[in-house]
Amino acid sequence: MDVSKYAAIFLAESREHLSSCNHLLLKWERDPAGTEAVGGLFRSIHTIKGMAATMGFTGVAELAHRMESLLDALRQARLTADEATFQLLFRAVDALGQGVEQAAAGREPPLDLALAAALEAATGGTPLSAPVFEPGEAEPPRRRATDGPRGRSVQVVIRPDAVMRGARAILAVRRAEVLGLVSAVRPSLVQLEREEFDGRLGFRIESRATEEELSAAIRTAGEVQHVRFEEAAPVDVDGGAARHRQIRVDLRRLDRLMKQVGELVVAKNRLGVLATAGDDPSLAEVSDRIARLVSGMQAEVIASRMTPVGEVFERFPRLVRDLARDLGKRIRFDVEGEEIELDRSILDEIGDPLLHLIRNAADHGIEAPDIRVRAGKPPEGRILLAATRERNSVTLRVSDDGRGIDRAAIAAKARREGATDVVTAPGESESVTDDVLLRVLARPGFSTAEEVSGVSGRGVGVDVAMTRVRQLGGTIEIRSEMGKGTTFLIRVPLTLAIVRALLADAGGERYAVPLAYVAETVEFDPRAVTALRSREALVVRDQVIPTVHLRDLVGSRGPAAPARRPTVILEVGERRTALVVDALVGQQDIVVAPFDAPRGMPPYVGGATILADGAPALVLDAAALL
Amino acid sequence: MSHTVLVCDDAIFMRTMISDILTQAGFEVVGEAESGSQAVEKYHALKPDLVTMDIVMPDMGGIEAVREICKTDPDAKILMCSAMGQQALVVEAIQAGAKDFVVKPFQPSRVLEAVQRVLG
Repeated sequence: MDVSKYAAIFLAESREHLSSCNHLLLKWERDPAGTEAVGGLFRSIHTIKGMAATMGFTGVAELAHRMESLLDALRQARLTADEATFQLLFRAVDALGQGVEQAAAGREPPLDLALAAALEAATGGTPLSAPVFEPGEAEPPRRRATDGPRGRSVQVVIRPDAVMRGARAILAVRRAEVLGLVSAVRPSLVQLEREEFDGRLGFRIESRATEEELSAAIRTAGEVQHVRFEEAAPVDVDGGAARHRQIRVDLRRLDRLMKQVGELVVAKNRLGVLATAGDDPSLAEVSDRIARLVSGMQAEVIASRMTPVGEVFERFPRLVRDLARDLGKRIRFDVEGEEIELDRSILDEIGDPLLHLIRNAADHGIEAPDIRVRAGKPPEGRILLAATRERNSVTLRVSDDGRGIDRAAIAAKARREGATDVVTAPGESESVTDDVLLRVLARPGFSTAEEVSGVSGRGVGVDVAMTRVRQLGGTIEIRSEMGKGTTFLIRVPLTLAIVRALLADAGGERYAVPLAYVAETVEFDPRAVTALRSREALVVRDQVIPTVHLRDLVGSRGPAAPARRPTVILEVGERRTALVVDALVGQQDIVVAPFDAPRGMPPYVGGATILADGAPALVLDAAALL
Repeated sequence: MSHTVLVCDDAIFMRTMISDILTQAGFEVVGEAESGSQAVEKYHALKPDLVTMDIVMPDMGGIEAVREICKTDPDAKILMCSAMGQQALVVEAIQAGAKDFVVKPFQPSRVLEAVQRVLG
């Protein structure tokens, strides 16, 4: 049978299991007495083993089998896990991950014999004694004399190599139904039908039949590897009903759907314009209806792409643990707001920037235990990764309670490197603001040239993180206090594809400004103009805000600017800029198309879009205007 | 006495293959049908011990044929023959009364195992 077409599903599911393995290992390592984690590990590894064997990836299956044996011994408390065991299991999970990736790519590596031997040695050379899923070796059913029907919960395992295991499981349920009343089938019949099924079926049965009779009946469904009985636990009433049904969807399909909806939004806007211009009331009515339907659809599509940030977060505890171990530091890593959701495409991109910032925090932020103790801090440092939702954006915070950044050293180094654009006079260095600090750190290659005490390597990755976040339409801020720690704040939009934008006119051209960054609009008052560090600024309610004239920015040679001009106050984090435009034309949902910038495209352009009347417009990158 | 079988499939290739597998294993193929309605008709005429039933067939599909047959004979021993990816249809056939299924491409051993299970 050709199984190659299952490679993608195999890979996706294996990755999920491996990720949960890492998670469970960490949890278990923190609480070695707990039994939950080892059970979960055993099941995940077992599932991978079954899948790999089905795919014909014998090396991967063999490695999984050895891990399973060790885990089984640990699970049954025949062995106790010590530090060496955890190290070995971490190593094995890594190797299994590599094996899975390479096998799915058609280059299955040979079994790592040293690792296999180490696993076997740790298991004590005993063969896997719990044939939970071993073919043909069902444990003998217990016979009990019974009078009336008894409730029992039944676990059925369908052979991993069976085809259409879901249908096979349904057949098993049908066979059991001949002998009694079946309820609480898990997974649900719908899930089974969709093959959302790892081969383990559970249900409850009220029956007078003996366990032998039940087992024999269920086995006539075929491909049954194992049948096990337990006295029925109280029925899990809400467990089933409340559980959401889910299906797996290829992300590319959602991307295409999103794109289509984006186009639909543009068409809807265009229809709206035509309907308003015409005088046909039924056209206006249809247009309204379509507008509502498209809005609802847009919301649903966006919602379907939302993924909890926890999916990206979960790889970091392991990273920090390994880093701490390598660096000889003690670091506690906490995560908050894992349930906050972001568009999948943003989430996929945000992992790398976070990785850089977390690595920096562990490497350069947190001090060695002895230094911390001398500084009057607890020996164990702390890194916090937290997500919070704000209106239409999500803030991701990476903070450490380490040494903080030495501003004077940074300023001195920046001066030595000739970065006069960011730091001007020696006297100013002591009061380097957080903004300036970030600009220095984000200079490509900064601090890689030579050592700077206390900040060596701090800039590595910041420029990478900054570039990536900016590409997502997001912003980065830094807050650092000497001796107390450093915090990076990343702000990203909830979703990329469709944004609400303010349309502004300058010199006869229209420009779109994403509403997420618009704090307010005011009228430009020439009397309120002042100067801030030799730049033009505007006083708005006692606050001095630097101004940018859009006409000047785009080098417009259009008709003269009107006397009364609106001003858009842009706000990113705590920074503000007043953007002076010729006129405001309204608001619109726009679909931002990525802009393959031709040579010389100015940095303030974040993309392009087609407006409702069919005309193209540039989308301004608010962060670049600050 | 050997068991009698009615083989239903619209493709001659599949009918031939299934007949060969079963005949070699000592079964007696007493009839063949190339549509659902023919299957129902021949089932009543031949009263076979076992029916192998393709799912997708012209004029009356396999699932409907199962339903028709089970209306008068709920204990009819019908084995569905499905292609990969037809899980939803297989489930529907099971709900309709089919007793087991095999998935194409057929492995003779699997077909015979299923036949044995259905015949009990």
